[in-house]
Amino acid sequence: MTVAELPATAHDGVDRASTARRRGMRQAARPWLFLTPALALLALFTFWPVLAGTLLAFTEYNFLAPPKWTGLANFEDLAADPVFWISMRNSLLYLLIVPAIQVGAIVLAVLVNNSLPGIRLFRAAFYMPVVTSVSVVGIMWGWMYNEQGLVNAVLQALHVISTPIGWLTDDRIALFSIMIVTLWRGLGWYMVLYLAALQSIPKDLEEAAKLDGATRVQRFWRITVPMIVPTILLCTVLSTLSAMKVLEEVLIMTKGGPVSSTYTGLYYAYDQGIRAFNFPRALAASLVVSVFCIAVATLAFRVLRPRHR
Amino acid sequence: MIGVVGGCDDTRRSGKVHVEFWTMSLKPKFIAYFEARIAQYQAAHPHVELEWVDVPWDALQTKLTAAIVAGSAPALVQLNVPWAYDYALYGALRPIDDLMGDDRNRYTAGAIADVTFNGRLYGFPHYSSVNVMAYNRALFQQAGVTRIPATRDEQLAVAKAIKARTGQYGFSPALGKIAGVFLEEGLPLVQNGRAVFNSPAHVALIAKLRDAYQAGGLLKDKLFSEDNYPASIDAYKSGRMAMLEAPPSALTRVRDDAPDIYAVTDVAPVPIGAPGVVAGGWLFHFAMPKGTRDDVAEEAARFAKFLTDDENELTFAKLAGAFPTARGAAADPYFGQLPRNAGAYEKAMALGASRLDKVRTLYAAGGPGFERLNKRLQDAVEAAVIGRRDIREALDDAVAFWNSKLAP
Repeated sequence: MTVAELPATAHDGVDRASTARRRGMRQAARPWLFLTPALALLALFTFWPVLAGTLLAFTEYNFLAPPKWTGLANFEDLAADPVFWISMRNSLLYLLIVPAIQVGAIVLAVLVNNSLPGIRLFRAAFYMPVVTSVSVVGIMWGWMYNEQGLVNAVLQALHVISTPIGWLTDDRIALFSIMIVTLWRGLGWYMVLYLAALQSIPKDLEEAAKLDGATRVQRFWRITVPMIVPTILLCTVLSTLSAMKVLEEVLIMTKGGPVSSTYTGLYYAYDQGIRAFNFPRALAASLVVSVFCIAVATLAFRVLRPRHR
Repeated sequence: MIGVVGGCDDTRRSGKVHVEFWTMSLKPKFIAYFEARIAQYQAAHPHVELEWVDVPWDALQTKLTAAIVAGSAPALVQLNVPWAYDYALYGALRPIDDLMGDDRNRYTAGAIADVTFNGRLYGFPHYSSVNVMAYNRALFQQAGVTRIPATRDEQLAVAKAIKARTGQYGFSPALGKIAGVFLEEGLPLVQNGRAVFNSPAHVALIAKLRDAYQAGGLLKDKLFSEDNYPASIDAYKSGRMAMLEAPPSALTRVRDDAPDIYAVTDVAPVPIGAPGVVAGGWLFHFAMPKGTRDDVAEEAARFAKFLTDDENELTFAKLAGAFPTARGAAADPYFGQLPRNAGAYEKAMALGASRLDKVRTLYAAGGPGFERLNKRLQDAVEAAVIGRRDIREALDDAVAFWNSKLAP
């Protein structure tokens, strides 16, 4: 009797089912197997530090003695610190640059989306600030903002102002001066994203609209803008998160001054951790900023999500 | 959680005592100096193996803290006084009274006082700085200033006159370290466990600073930064500021970068406040992390004394443009005898050396959480000086905050 002639039994059915289950499990496990190296690295260098940092935010810890659980004490400390509230207010104020940077980037992208002679030079020029080190940018703008720097010199030469303005030394305007630098740095990056979106719009749509007699403005609002809405959503969320997490410009240009007027949420965390060596409070502040970022990003997605395709 | 530091099994096997020592931002300028000292010491002490690690100043605290936690701290580490105070407060440094012994008499009294916390000695003094006042003779003449200011009040008055008559700034006091400014003037921060920096004398000092600020006499750029030195020296070099309070080494930068300004630069003592302490003292010393093995500690102490003996301190001071803390080195004719055609730098070195007895590292000795108190004081003073808040009100608020935290 050959194997093919063996009669089927109940056991055979069970075996087939378990074999199929095993095969299914193997198939399900395969992607996880491929993901394991990356997940292990993520677990080690991202998830674990985030978890450990979150736990440390609820302790008193100075590295030299074991952490001591203090519950919400660090968060209560934050709530009682006026500089923390200034920092959070400034992080919110920083969101003012989001619409400015988006409108500016779209305008720039539309302008450089032409095949004029030398247009690549303009594209590269607008992108230069993105690839320039933030330290260089900070020092350069620091010089320009100096009371005897370029900005005041130009404004005085044009008779716009009579006495120099303390762009970084006047607590009423220092934050806005730094926001201009962030705007300048970010425009080129978002311009490139919008440029890619503009170049993916099918040409025949524009041509058909032209044949139908649509003006340039009509074509922009009825064709261009709707076609780049997903990019607008992406760029808005990215720039919102970047604005909430501003640190380097403040660190290099003002170190939070004058009179703590340029502290931002993340700079506060940095200052507490690296300068004051108070790591638990720094982690507590980071946690608050992170929750804030997640909330703002979620809101932005909900408000700006395209309703139909 | 402090482990055994300063030694390793490899060196035990080799029969040598391994002494690792860290310096703060001394490479590359002092590579030849330290390599020569290491070779000389190892030749004289063949059972000792030295390892020199230079750490950038802005990374030193982080690295040292991590090393102490990991049990791999060096046997000696170069620290400034406020950092050493903090580490000593947390019990991370080993008192060295027993290792220093009678050698403490070799150092200046001010240096020993700087590294004595709560009655215990925590460091082998290495070098210090003393501020002098460099001034631009041309700007002084232009402003009609004939008398060199000798007190803080006179200096502020001159700063206002300079601004009014030349359009340039007077000077840049270290307002980012306001605790030190108060202490220089003999005004205490805390008495009997209570903050007292809202007294009429404190208010009067801030009022004078505010007047000078509003008259444009003080350089605004980085005025309230913890480190206003780079901005100050830039302003002085470019002829935008008439007086520069800095250690003599700053004048070598003026000499090299702005010879025209150096040519019209002269030096004078910095104004001394009520306690008779000269400003700008900033002592560096070698401290010993707690947990250093006894045999390593003894060898490390011997090596630290070698690095800070008269001869080596003098050589280092000449190279660095700094001041020694060893009495013998400080008494060397190098500091007292001015060469012919002495420039502002040489004059500044002689002037600084003549005031070594009066120099101390001034800082506000805090405890855990002191940074936050200091920040509140800084913000109050800054808001008052730039005219955003009433002086008395700002200081009262800061005092109330301090007392709420200082209360037992």
